[in-house]
Formats: sequence, structure tokens, C-alpha cells
Amino acid sequence: MLRFEATQMILRHIGDRPIVSNLGPTTDELWHAGHRDRNFYTYGNMGLCSSIALGMALSTPEKVVSLDGDGSLLMNLGAIASIGREQPKNLVVVVWDNEQWGQTGHQTSHTGLGTDLEKVAQSCSIGHTATVRDLESLESVFCQALEEDGPWFIVAKIDEAEYMPVAPIEPEMTLYRFRNSFLKQ
Amino acid sequence: MNWAETIVDLLKKWNTSLIAYVPDISIHRVTSLIEADPYFHLVSATREEEAIGIAAGAYAVGRNSAVFMQSSGFGNSVNALASLCIPARVPIPLFINLRGGPGEFNIAQVAMGRTTRPILDLLGLVHFTLEDEYKMDKIVDGALKLCHANRQPVAICLTQLLHGGKLA
Repeated sequence: MLRFEATQMILRHIGDRPIVSNLGPTTDELWHAGHRDRNFYTYGNMGLCSSIALGMALSTPEKVVSLDGDGSLLMNLGAIASIGREQPKNLVVVVWDNEQWGQTGHQTSHTGLGTDLEKVAQSCSIGHTATVRDLESLESVFCQALEEDGPWFIVAKIDEAEYMPVAPIEPEMTLYRFRNSFLKQ
Repeated sequence: MNWAETIVDLLKKWNTSLIAYVPDISIHRVTSLIEADPYFHLVSATREEEAIGIAAGAYAVGRNSAVFMQSSGFGNSVNALASLCIPARVPIPLFINLRGGPGEFNIAQVAMGRTTRPILDLLGLVHFTLEDEYKMDKIVDGALKLCHANRQPVAICLTQLLHGGKLA
């Protein structure tokens, strides 16, 4: 499964719901798959994608989707514990797990050597979890997660592909238009 | 009204209802008031940079937020401030228990405590230090106003001289 085709699938189902994207290729591919006001692209702060999504989920009734990565989440495993502690019903974490730090030279990450992030989530009291390896399985569980209470934690095993051009993102504008879409309601 | 009640009162004045924190005994007096008050949602983070992320997420959907931490934990949060709050302009008030001043008993708290404000200066972030309750209502109220006007984090450093600190 390629991250870009999986991102396109997520955008087909997302409707108006907010998405937070991890720095690097996840953010770039989300922009290329479909730029929208409700995409909160991160460009730094490695490890904080799902923490930002948790803060959102605790502050809006809408379902919030975090597109995180294995290397980033390994930097902040405490985020999973805090999601388990808070139990936000409206949070869906999708982890693009390529079992490597792709951008820094394809070094093997801990998930390629035995760390099972789904089991980490389960042990942190996150009740709805899955690990999927193909697009059809991801689509099925993601659609279920959009409709049913969570928190959800979905590990999507992906293959690395050529990187797309860096998305032309300005953090200040990202926050401004994303936040405005909530203030206007 | 004591210092802790003043902070709670002003957080409410500025509609700041999500508080992310890492527990600290010296500012427990204020965070315990927050925890007991249904106006607030107090979120425990496992680490200070995580608290910054949670607070930024709340702000991004239109809810004002603040973070409570100790100066040692400020060291854990620098990249979150530098690579998220500053470039995206996220106005989060940071209430920092500033260690390493008069009365400090722990050698391991001195270096990070003493370098917290210089690091804030290097980041270009405004900070205020409270050593007593005199004018603190005006300082905290003004700091929160400045934080939102400038759309950048502002630090309010709470010292042992203000809160009494932790006994050795």
C-alpha cells in the first residue's frame, strides 16, 4: 500500500472533518492529494501530530483524524498514553508505518524490529485498534472509525515511494484558515 | 484573592478553558483549583512538549488554552515552541514554575532554571516574572492580552518567592 493512494482514499471519505498531518511526506502528500481548509499541515514539531489532534478532539465535537508516522510517534509514545487516559470518542489516529525513518536515509525504525504500535495502543486502554496491510482493509476500518465512537488507533503498513515535491505551506496561514473554519460556524 | 485564585480568575476572563500540564508540587495550588472547577478541562501530559501540542490543537479549533510546567520541563518544550508555536503564531500562555532562584535546594534544578529566561529571550518570546502578589493581577491580565494580540506564546514565570516553593 502506498501512502499517497491511502491518503487519496481518506480524502474521499473525510467530508468536512479536520485532518492533522505529520511533518514531511505525509503533509506533502496530503496537500497534493487535496488541499482544503480543514487540513492542518505540520511542518516541524516532530512527534506532536497526534498530541495536536488530541487537543482538537477535546475542544470540538467533530471527528478529528491524525495522520501520524511510526518514527514520529516513537518520539512521543506518551501521546498514546494521554489519548488512552482522555478517551476522546471523536479521535482517529492513523499511523503510516513504513518501519523506517524514510526522510533521513531509510534507517530501520523500531517498528521494523519488533515494536508493535497497535499493542502499545491497546495497553494504553485504546479500545478500537487495527493493523492493516492493504488499501481495502484500511478503507473498511477507516470508514468504520468515522462512523463509530473511538478513540481509534489504526496502524497502516505502507511501502515507501518516491517523494513528491515539497508542498508550498505557510504555517501561519495554515493555522489561520484552519481555525477560521471553526470560528465561522 | 491569593496568587493561585488570581490566575484562575484571569484564565476565565480570557476564556481559557483547556489547560495542559505536567504536574508540579509548587504550582499544585493553582492546578488543583483548575482541576476542581468544571469550567476547565485539565489535561495531563506525559511531557511538556506534548502539553504544548495539546494546547495548540485546542487553539486551532477555536478554544483558548494554556500550559503549566516547571522550568526543567521548559527545556523539554523548546522545539515545540520553536517549530510549532512561533512559525504558526499560536498564542499559548506558559505558566512556568521557575526553579533555581533564592531558596532553591536542588543542584539539578539550577542550570535549567537559570537558563529558562535567556532561552525565552533567544526565541524572541515575551516573559514576565512574578516574585510577589503586588500588581500581579495587572501583570497576568496584561500578559494574556499581549499573548493574544501578538499571537505568540508568553511566559509567566512563577518563583519560589511568590508561591513558597517546595521544601527540601
